[in-house]
Amino acid sequence: MSEGSVQIKDLVKTYTDDRGRPTFTAVKKINLNIDNGEFMVLVGPSGCGKTTTLRMVAGLEKISSGTISIGERVVNDLEPKDRGIAMVFQNYALYPHMSIFNNMAFGLQLAKKKKDFIQETVSKTSRALGLDSMLERKPQALSGGQRQRVALGRAIVRNPQVFLFDEPLSNLDAKMRVQMRSEISRLHTQLGNTMIYVTHDQVEAMTMGDRICVMKDGLIMQVADPLTLYRKPENLFVAGFIGSPPMNLLKGKVQKRDNGLFFVESAEKDALNLPLQGRLEPLAAKYVDKDVVFGIRPEHISNEPQEGSNTPVTMTVDISEPMGSESLVYMKAGTGNVIARIHGENLYHQGDKVTVQLNLDKVSLFDPQTENVIR
Amino acid sequence: MTPKDKLLIRKICAHAFLIGFIALVLAPFVMVVTASLRKGNFAPSRVFLSPNEYSLEHWKFVLGVPYEEVVNAATGEKRVIRAGTPPLLWFWNSIKVSLIASTGIILLSGTAAYAFSRLKFRFRKPTLVGLLILQMFPLLLALVAFYVILDFTGQYLKWLGLNTHPGLIMVYLGGISSYIWMIKGYFDTIPLSMEESAWIDGASRFQTFVRILLPMSLPIFAVVFILSFIGYMSEYPVASVVLQTSDNWTLAVGANSFLYEQEKLWGRFAALAVLSGVPITVMFLLCQRFVIGGLTSGGVKE
Repeated sequence: MSEGSVQIKDLVKTYTDDRGRPTFTAVKKINLNIDNGEFMVLVGPSGCGKTTTLRMVAGLEKISSGTISIGERVVNDLEPKDRGIAMVFQNYALYPHMSIFNNMAFGLQLAKKKKDFIQETVSKTSRALGLDSMLERKPQALSGGQRQRVALGRAIVRNPQVFLFDEPLSNLDAKMRVQMRSEISRLHTQLGNTMIYVTHDQVEAMTMGDRICVMKDGLIMQVADPLTLYRKPENLFVAGFIGSPPMNLLKGKVQKRDNGLFFVESAEKDALNLPLQGRLEPLAAKYVDKDVVFGIRPEHISNEPQEGSNTPVTMTVDISEPMGSESLVYMKAGTGNVIARIHGENLYHQGDKVTVQLNLDKVSLFDPQTENVIR
Repeated sequence: MTPKDKLLIRKICAHAFLIGFIALVLAPFVMVVTASLRKGNFAPSRVFLSPNEYSLEHWKFVLGVPYEEVVNAATGEKRVIRAGTPPLLWFWNSIKVSLIASTGIILLSGTAAYAFSRLKFRFRKPTLVGLLILQMFPLLLALVAFYVILDFTGQYLKWLGLNTHPGLIMVYLGGISSYIWMIKGYFDTIPLSMEESAWIDGASRFQTFVRILLPMSLPIFAVVFILSFIGYMSEYPVASVVLQTSDNWTLAVGANSFLYEQEKLWGRFAALAVLSGVPITVMFLLCQRFVIGGLTSGGVKE
């Protein structure tokens, strides 16, 4: 059963002005396969083309070239209503002059379905979303979270193959956002439909997605499940985008010394010298005397040695952000600050000299010119 | 002085100022009403009248009630005064023309504004700017052109020529440029996602326009209706050129006909002026409940 699968092939979107002249290419030939029932998150900074891609799947933007297939049926020339999709917008887009019931029933009313059927479908959905006591109210009388649930209900009532979400939680306050996040995840488990979710928030992406597609400037940077993106980023962008606080990326060179290969930071003061052992040795061997980027996550720098091979480094504390059970410590290195996530309730002050352990097994090396990871 | 006293003085001053200001603004209107109730045909100049100066003769004339007037004070000879063409006919003409023209304006400018706001086509921007410049010129400037055009159409379509109401309405419908701009501006504030949601639900563009956009745009349409209605009720130059027989006159033209060179019948004129204010007031009261801004609030997160 592949009715909910989505195939995006060689998709391009170029915007034109009133006279038809091209102005801006938002999506520059992307390929993506989404399995039936998958929760795929499109994530990236503003302007990366994720919303444009979503809107092309919905049929709200014309496709410049390439094909989109839903359920192995090419939908390029189909109207949005014929594609078997439903969309939840960032600003809810509820019809303000209609009651909640009519908002959800609008699509069915247009399709001239029987009144009993409409009544039953809307009631069932609204009960599942906890909205059945407010069906006669207008959107003005509802809170932000309730309005978003109505938008969800409206999409569910359409019984689509694919659900499309365009940054639905961006307009909610932090608490409501956490609540709605779990509600949408629960919805996915219950309904089992394919869901394509666009967001700029990588926390949402990591917690909700089966797979995540990281985009930048109209191109796909990497598509993988959350853990793979975290552990094995394929390029500098993904490495710096996933994870909060972001991965430390240090610029330097590989130096061959008597006792092995070393990473030497390209800086005059406070340059770090880190040994490249074990797994890193064969990778660095190809880049002797060449520029590399040394990447290590804050979680893999701590005050005690972790599992695997560690190397101690002594650095001076610049800023410390105590979070309670752990502290985010910013330490001075040659080309910037190195952020470390240090467990424990210790307090660190500016100027303190701290010896931290870097877990070398979790280090990624990148080629600064191609921006790809060195394998 | 205690703060309470200061507040009281401030309140009294504010109220006095407001009352004075309102009196100043209302004074001309009251003068016109008074002139319509004054015996004889004096120009509006007095706000209050002494008891023996009151007379309902002008209102009787306007409402088509025949009354007697003493012609010769010496002999007591009386004469029945009745209007040649009942002014109430002019009243009806005005309402008819204004209602139909306003409805036409809403239909034409609403759909045009939708095109300018939502559709992409060549020359969209230049046309919009052109409309902006066009609206700066009053309709009146093209008076000669209107006459010639209506004369021409009257030769082929008898009901659409000079001295006809459809002809006048056709000319009035030309004043849509400023209304297009107003409605387009309002449509621009309604997020496209509202319509996109309707498209996904299965509505065609027209269904979306009628069932989603229009109900949300009631405030601006009410405003356009009111403004154009008032405009056409009180319009004089074009109507006076187009309409020639007294049966066809609108209220404005008819009222002006009482201002003969030698004897300006201000009393009757004032009565007609007050009468023309009645439908405008009624229309205002009717449309008021639609001009509640914020109909879009709640549907969308700004």
